[in-house]
Amino acid sequence: MTEVFVPKVADPRTILTGSSPTADHTEGMSYLETLPRRLVTLYLPLSIIVIVLIFPFYWMALTAIKPDEQLLALDKFNPFWTWSPTFKHIEKLLFETNYPLWLWNTMYVAIGSTILSIFASVCAAYAIVRLRYKGAQWVGASIFLAYLVPPSILFIPLSTIVFQYGLFDTPFALILTYPTILIPFSTWLLMGYFKTIPYELEECALIDGASRLQILTKIVLPLAVPGLISAFIFCFTLCWNEFIYALTFISASTNKTVPVAIVNEFVDGDIYRWGSLMAGALIGSLPLVLLYAFFVEHYVSAMTGAVKE
Amino acid sequence: MNPFNRRTFLQGSTALGASVALTGPALLDWAKAWAQTAPWKPERNAQISLLRWKRFIQAEEDAFMELVANFTKATGVKVNVTNESLDDVQPKAAIAANTGSGPDMFWGLYSLPHLFPSKVIDLTDVADYLGKKYGGWVPSAVTYGKSGNKWIGIPVAYNGNVLNYRKAASEKAGFKTFPKKTDEFLAYAKAMKAQGTPGGMALGHASGDGNAWVHWALWAFGGNLVDARDRVIIDSPETAKSLEYAKALYETFIPGTASWNDSFNNKAFLANEVHWTNNGVSIYAAAKAGNMKEMVDDIDHALWPVGPIGKPTEFHVAYPIMVMTYSKVPQASKAFIAFMMEAANLDPWVIKSVGYLTPGLTAYEKNPVWTSDPKLTVCRDVAKNTLTAGHLGSVGEKAAAALADFIVLDMFANVCTGREDVKGAVKIADRQARRLYRTS
Amino acid sequence: MADVALDPRTAKRPLLHATAWDRLKVNHNWLGLWFMLPAAAILVLFLAYPLGLGIWISFTDTRIGRSGVFVGVENYEWLWDDTVFWLSVFNTLLYTGVASVFKFAIGLYLAILLNQHMPFKAMIRAIVLIPFIVPTVLSAIAFWWLFDSQFSIISWSLKKIGFISSNIDFLGDFWNARWSVIFANVWRGIPFVAITLLAGLQTVPPSLYEAATIDGASRWQMFRFITYPLLTPIIAVVMTFSVLFTFTDFQLIWAMTRGGPVNATHLMATLSYQRAILGGYLGEGSAIATAMIPFLLACILISWFGLQRRKWQQGESND
Repeated sequence: MTEVFVPKVADPRTILTGSSPTADHTEGMSYLETLPRRLVTLYLPLSIIVIVLIFPFYWMALTAIKPDEQLLALDKFNPFWTWSPTFKHIEKLLFETNYPLWLWNTMYVAIGSTILSIFASVCAAYAIVRLRYKGAQWVGASIFLAYLVPPSILFIPLSTIVFQYGLFDTPFALILTYPTILIPFSTWLLMGYFKTIPYELEECALIDGASRLQILTKIVLPLAVPGLISAFIFCFTLCWNEFIYALTFISASTNKTVPVAIVNEFVDGDIYRWGSLMAGALIGSLPLVLLYAFFVEHYVSAMTGAVKE
Repeated sequence: MNPFNRRTFLQGSTALGASVALTGPALLDWAKAWAQTAPWKPERNAQISLLRWKRFIQAEEDAFMELVANFTKATGVKVNVTNESLDDVQPKAAIAANTGSGPDMFWGLYSLPHLFPSKVIDLTDVADYLGKKYGGWVPSAVTYGKSGNKWIGIPVAYNGNVLNYRKAASEKAGFKTFPKKTDEFLAYAKAMKAQGTPGGMALGHASGDGNAWVHWALWAFGGNLVDARDRVIIDSPETAKSLEYAKALYETFIPGTASWNDSFNNKAFLANEVHWTNNGVSIYAAAKAGNMKEMVDDIDHALWPVGPIGKPTEFHVAYPIMVMTYSKVPQASKAFIAFMMEAANLDPWVIKSVGYLTPGLTAYEKNPVWTSDPKLTVCRDVAKNTLTAGHLGSVGEKAAAALADFIVLDMFANVCTGREDVKGAVKIADRQARRLYRTS
Repeated sequence: MADVALDPRTAKRPLLHATAWDRLKVNHNWLGLWFMLPAAAILVLFLAYPLGLGIWISFTDTRIGRSGVFVGVENYEWLWDDTVFWLSVFNTLLYTGVASVFKFAIGLYLAILLNQHMPFKAMIRAIVLIPFIVPTVLSAIAFWWLFDSQFSIISWSLKKIGFISSNIDFLGDFWNARWSVIFANVWRGIPFVAITLLAGLQTVPPSLYEAATIDGASRWQMFRFITYPLLTPIIAVVMTFSVLFTFTDFQLIWAMTRGGPVNATHLMATLSYQRAILGGYLGEGSAIATAMIPFLLACILISWFGLQRRKWQQGESND
């Protein structure tokens, strides 16, 4: 039954990607500019901003491979570079701690709560945008109100509740609580995205007797893939970074997530093990770096879809 | 284990006699025999989970884990140890106490068991057993451990927060021995600054070093946050004097101490940026672990100078351990506490921690670590000398809250950095203290 | 919601459209309920319920380890003339205000730059996102190291160049500390703003610029009269998110200064944590946390009315 729509489905998708390209509309005018002018108006400010943005990251990377004795001796060694990189810190991190396990935990929690949030957000966004049930606008608004309640307020009462539900010190404590931070944003993003999908498609399907669920899974979702990717990346990043819930709800070292575990493992009371700390931060960021490297264009174009009027 | 510790350990064994001479299999045999005779019989298939403060010295943690392994071998009770940074133990314990589930035992700071006396089990039998066997508890241990007639926590050990200084630089400044009086100390600090080898003490929100030195300064001049009946008495001429003293001292510090937390002075000391500071022996231990021979030779420790009130006013970190009421293995937990504080375990543990831990039982003053390395001798007396959180007042939740809220620390920081004058700073602290100590 | 669902009004709509339309509408309320269920369940169980609990706690004298009794507004009364609390309110507003303005200005500028044609565009965009990717607490520790009072590479470099003669006291001086944490927050927040605004920029039809170019408009005029108006809705949304996240920030301050020196960088969130969790006064900590809600509500309302033009926000049809 749904095969009927396939050609129609294919069509708007190309229209969509066409209408939300990583558009080079300025290209049309850039021939008007001379190189020196572009140097001043574009490359110079851009490189300054990029350098500032990247420097702390560079500093982390450098610290991760610097031998300890060079860390504090700023005058003896050039602090901006090291000629004797050591992989001691990284080796220690990977082979002498539970780091791989922590990475796995983080991944598990992040993927779990991201999928859960996206599922909930897809349903909610679809209902708000398309079902237009009575009170939809207020529900849409109240989802936003969720951001009134930051984790720093919530975690005290929430910890009691996590215990009551018997979730303490399990990955589910995080998988179920993270969506409270993720759902509002991804709902907003998907709401915008669903709007770009021509309503006629759904109408036709309805006439043909398709159920709402079928419409959602067979028509809307395939068209909304860029939006889903965008929401996925956003949620995943937030999960990856979360600290306060992970700190409070997880106690066993083997259940910890990367940010919490690293800080706990490499701060010896009043001695910071800088090399391993930074190596841990760096390697912990790698999965996200890969994710973004592959999907950054999707992310932008999906956002474009979502924010389009 | 580095050769130094190994050697001291052997010296220690001979000095203390049979009970500590045990290593390896012999120690295990002792442990097994101990388990047979101990008054506490672990529950069947018992498993203990223990949350402790995160180590400051790797060797200390290694020794502790060794002890834990021996306990498991001797009694069959598995002990799951988790570590949390010093500041996080209390929140974790609080949540566990509130919700009635979590680790069986918490090993935390200062007055931790007093935050929820009804949620921890009575450890009086353990305390009496240990007290009788090892020469009795020092006064501060009784204060920290007892609530009413009951022991609710066992103060396992203290971490001496002492003055760390560089000998060569101090001698050059004209001080062969470290000053013993507050005014000499100020002269010392000035001299050190004048010759370009300044010191510095933390004034940021540093729960260890920061609290240690400001409380010393406050008490040395007779100032107090509260009196014996928990009435706020911070607004006094004594407090004003101590603030002025601290301000004068602060003028001699290296710039930037207002941002220091517990780790800054370690870093700065090891990098020759500051030449005196207050800290545990972890700087010394780190210098040793890192084979910084020059530093190891030149560093020394001293007790806090005595102020106008004429007696020591030191404030050291105490580490009490406690067992929660919801625990299903109270007997095993009690056995574990007693086990870890038996000489056969505690002595080598203290030795390996390079004197970082000072037990609260008087018999442990004889541990050879205090004499084999003269630089550690000062730490022997920290348990005896230390005043307790809240000093004159109670050690309960209010004192803990006042510490956690940095009331005294912020008062000193306000004055030292010149943000408030003495009056203004005292007023703020007074207001904060009244908030916490209100009776309702 | 169930009452709403039972409302028969929708079923009585005149048959203006085809029958499919009707069928579609008949069960809307029920369908809506089912579709909202997953999100609603999570938000109610893990957000609304604990929030209610938190607000209740703020009216009691609960301490860690024992439940409290109702004390009315006593906690709020104590906060009312607590200078430290008001300092934290000031800090929070300053932190949020300044950081948001900078995030917006630099983020928008960066988005406009990134929107131009250039080599390695994808790579540069990926690089720009890095601050967003590194776990906050760890980048905060890295910043803390960069802002060290003795071993700061920034102080060192400036000394080498000869700009300054002694180390900058980044985190020890009140205002320096504030600017330092704001800088770190801006650093972390720019990528999100920039990438989202970049997406917004790409929705501006190129034909408008072409027409403007032909009419001889200057760059500034093009920005002012084409880009900015078209971008306003997305700016409003991004800035709402950004403001909310900044206002409730915790990690960065906690990792860098713990609120020091002398509470100069204490935010309401960190003060609440310090008093509730470390100090054990759950009631008062909750009161501080609850006191954040009016401010957050104001933020949301402002953006809400700013967004009125865009009805889709409320789930209404607009196109």
